[in-house]
Amino acid sequence: MTTTTASRSRLRTIAPWISTSARLVLAAVFLAAGTLKVIDPSGSVAAVRAYELAPAGWETLIGWGLPFVEIGLGLLLALGFHTRAVAIISAALLTLLIAAVISVAARGLSIDCGCFGGGGQVPPGETRYASEIIRDLGLLLLAGWLIWRPQSRLCLDRWNGESR
Amino acid sequence: MSAGSRRARELARQQAEAVAKQQRQRRIALLSTLVVFVLLVGGGIAFQAWRTLREPSAPTTVDPSLTPLSIADGKPIVLGSADAPAKVTLYEDFHCPHCAEFEKKFGPLLTAAQHSGNAATELYPMSFIDSGSAAAANAMACAAEAGFGLAYYRGLFANSTLQWNDDQLVALAEQVTPAPSDAFRTCVTTRAHTSWVSSINATAEANGVNSTPTVFLNGTQLDLASLTPQTLQTMIDEAATR
Repeated sequence: MTTTTASRSRLRTIAPWISTSARLVLAAVFLAAGTLKVIDPSGSVAAVRAYELAPAGWETLIGWGLPFVEIGLGLLLALGFHTRAVAIISAALLTLLIAAVISVAARGLSIDCGCFGGGGQVPPGETRYASEIIRDLGLLLLAGWLIWRPQSRLCLDRWNGESR
Repeated sequence: MSAGSRRARELARQQAEAVAKQQRQRRIALLSTLVVFVLLVGGGIAFQAWRTLREPSAPTTVDPSLTPLSIADGKPIVLGSADAPAKVTLYEDFHCPHCAEFEKKFGPLLTAAQHSGNAATELYPMSFIDSGSAAAANAMACAAEAGFGLAYYRGLFANSTLQWNDDQLVALAEQVTPAPSDAFRTCVTTRAHTSWVSSINATAEANGVNSTPTVFLNGTQLDLASLTPQTLQTMIDEAATR
């Protein structure tokens, strides 16, 4: 009884700091991924096209828009503003990206995910789907944690009256 | 009604009001964040559309007077004198961002060496990124044939974020040469050098080149990570005095 109370109170002290780290790691990854893609608009569209998933007109819109979605989510996560809502959107986005990579692998295409710029076709032996999926699952885990425990230190949600 | 219960009721009312106010504020904050987010993404898309679809700008002035070249399948475009002592072989894609960086860093130096006769560039314009790469490679061959290849080359990289539709490719020619001929326009719009464009990709593959930019100086591949304008200049000068 006393041990569970003790560990529960310890969790209460540590959890906000875990949430802070999760927020900052996710923010850094999103900001890096977004910025690297914004630099090269035609490469970004070509990377989307390589997935052979989006209809023709949408490839351009996704190639140009998605990097800014990532930058927006990254900024909100870094500031810790509306953390739970942002974490839900991030988790949805990551799930979509994981599904896209799985679909590419299942269809036997050989591409680079273009997650951090670049992308497009690669020689058949040089795909890295497994590591790309594992990395995204790791990020999804962080987003999941933030949905569960959005309260964190060094964030704007406090000021916004969202967490106690 | 006792004074105590009135005070309690007043307190509860104040509390409810405070909660309602806070909820309202949070709703406003969430909504404004959403609006800012949508504006960011929308503005971003507009920004990329502008970067890709705008008119090309003129490259920093280069002398466009080069002799017209003939285009042969599998053979590079030679910019500069064919008997220059230093031969710089460039494998580039006009939509590859690292190639644009390379051009920004080393282009002026290479252009100067071409004019002084110390170096010539053998250009293999690969096209694997998108259809704009191939359109630009084709137009590059058209420009070389028309005799303004070097200026056009610099212009393509100075505007590397452009989509490279036909209008942009013709507009770029208008920026670098007084009056591009009708033959040039036709060459661009009909993709006259399609077979040459694919032959260059095949040659690059045959030469084991699978990434851009890849650079050779007199047959030796250069390590671009450590290359600086100074070291490249030294290498070109050494080749010239040998």
